[in-house]
Amino acid sequence: MISAEVRPGRAAALARVPAFWVVSALLLAGGFRMAQIASRFGTAYPIATLTAVLLFALLAVPFWLLVSELDFLEREPIELLVLAFAWGGVVATSVSIPASTALENLIAKFGSPAYAAGWGAALAAPTVEEIAKTLGVVAIVLVARPQVNSVLDGVVYGAMVGLGFQIAEDIIFAVGAVALAGQGDHIQPVIATFLLRGFLSGVWSHTLFGALAGAGIGYLVVRHDRGYARRIGVAALALLGAWASHVLWNSPLLSDGIGNGAVGLLAVLVLKGLPPLLLILWLVRHAHDREADYYVGHLATLGDPELITESEMKVLGSGSARASARRLAGERAGHAGRHAVRRLQRAQAKLAVELSREVPPDSLSCEQIRLQRKVLRGLGHPEAIAGPRSWRHTASTIVTTVVAIAVLWVALSALGGA
Amino acid sequence: MARITRRELMNILGAFGLVAVLAGLALGLPAVDRAFSAERPLQAGVPVDIGAGVTVVPPAGATLDVTGTRPGGSMGSAFFRLGAVQYKISVRPFDGDLETAAARLRQRITGNQGYQVTSAQLAVDTVDGLAGLQGGYTAPGRGGRYAVFVGDGRTIEILISGNDLDLGATLPQIEASTRTLRIDGTAR
Repeated sequence: MISAEVRPGRAAALARVPAFWVVSALLLAGGFRMAQIASRFGTAYPIATLTAVLLFALLAVPFWLLVSELDFLEREPIELLVLAFAWGGVVATSVSIPASTALENLIAKFGSPAYAAGWGAALAAPTVEEIAKTLGVVAIVLVARPQVNSVLDGVVYGAMVGLGFQIAEDIIFAVGAVALAGQGDHIQPVIATFLLRGFLSGVWSHTLFGALAGAGIGYLVVRHDRGYARRIGVAALALLGAWASHVLWNSPLLSDGIGNGAVGLLAVLVLKGLPPLLLILWLVRHAHDREADYYVGHLATLGDPELITESEMKVLGSGSARASARRLAGERAGHAGRHAVRRLQRAQAKLAVELSREVPPDSLSCEQIRLQRKVLRGLGHPEAIAGPRSWRHTASTIVTTVVAIAVLWVALSALGGA
Repeated sequence: MARITRRELMNILGAFGLVAVLAGLALGLPAVDRAFSAERPLQAGVPVDIGAGVTVVPPAGATLDVTGTRPGGSMGSAFFRLGAVQYKISVRPFDGDLETAAARLRQRITGNQGYQVTSAQLAVDTVDGLAGLQGGYTAPGRGGRYAVFVGDGRTIEILISGNDLDLGATLPQIEASTRTLRIDGTAR
């Protein structure tokens, strides 16, 4: 259910919220600290640092698009997505660096150096980092609470904080690998780190953990139909889930792989990464469906097939069905058809959000829908319906994924990173 | 004068709660860490596990700093203190030769601002016959020695640092300790 109390407001009102200035000060302080680290890297290894920044910035683009696409129906304001990303990239990282070191030292002091060598990074980093990242979603709630109006919003902001953290951490690791290699300002360790951390361990890394913890904050904020204790409990459980996933990923368990060779190591990556990946996929699906039901329900009240048909309502609520409808339009009416369906879907989503916000009927954005409907009629494809299930498409996706992993593995092996 | 609303008050309290948790992590945890000593006494003559199957007998009177000691399965490190002198050993997988390992260590040393390698390298070996190279370096306010050994798919790097007076007094003991490095030795 979407909270009725927390209707989305205008992002321009951010400056009137006291917490905005506190969060801005934290971002400035974190930015200053990270700039100091970047400056040290840039002075010692300018080419490697620049390469790392460019490569990981490029890697952030598809992740950003994927995360922002999660909430297709009610998109988050760009300034809040930037704020979440920046929190992860400069605040959570600059806090985590000294805190993780201190906690790992304490593990060595109260346990033993051998225990810290095995489990120090597995326990210290998740404990500090998951708290620091989750505070990023809390910061979003404090500065723009009306924008967090579904569990899915918490997922999106949490994932964005995690993405910022992941990119900053990857850059630090890449330049750290250059320093450790002791070969001067060379980019080979950067490329190896990029392939290893950016791809093989990038999918279920901080973005995923952040999304899980963010879902908990989203639940805490919007589910007023549940008791306060239950909401706090769910938020704590989500944070615990993110922590446990991170501990599992960092843990020395199965660190030597299962069996020999690349397949054994890949199996470990999958075994450690798959449980949180499946959990968050289920969570996103569940949260997405709830939100879709809510917004599509508003469109159903229109009863106007010119704006949205019964079949299009089924399509609009599902990410894969929307993509299928665009593919079908592409097959039947070429690029123009695909683009028109995309614009139609966006316009229908916008209309759904306006209806949920009780925008007066004469101010509703119906023109774009009518325009795209006219374009589609002209192309002989008047309705944005999903195509039949395509096994060719599924097989092509699987084969492409397998080939991509194989190419990555060969590249890593050639660079000595695997 | 405008009164502060309850919503604004909660917002301010929430923001300061945020700052308090972050400060607890960034400043509180390091403060707690500093409050507890990292140094542990060592038994004279007993080898210490550095990691990856490498051991060393530390100099008499040295203490182990647990914050720089991580004896892992495939790599590791040990950090000893002998008065004001720091004696660090690290081991990790390596598939090159001794000259390459030494060149990379020198590069890492001189990669630090103000650090310079000061003398020609000399051959050094351990009691077990492991061959290595050693040299000297200077850093702002400190001097130091480095040594590197390669064997059995691993590189063992040693960094010793302190002021000239302390180094002069402790280097013979540390060099004697370095000669006790063993691969696949008995870990304690």
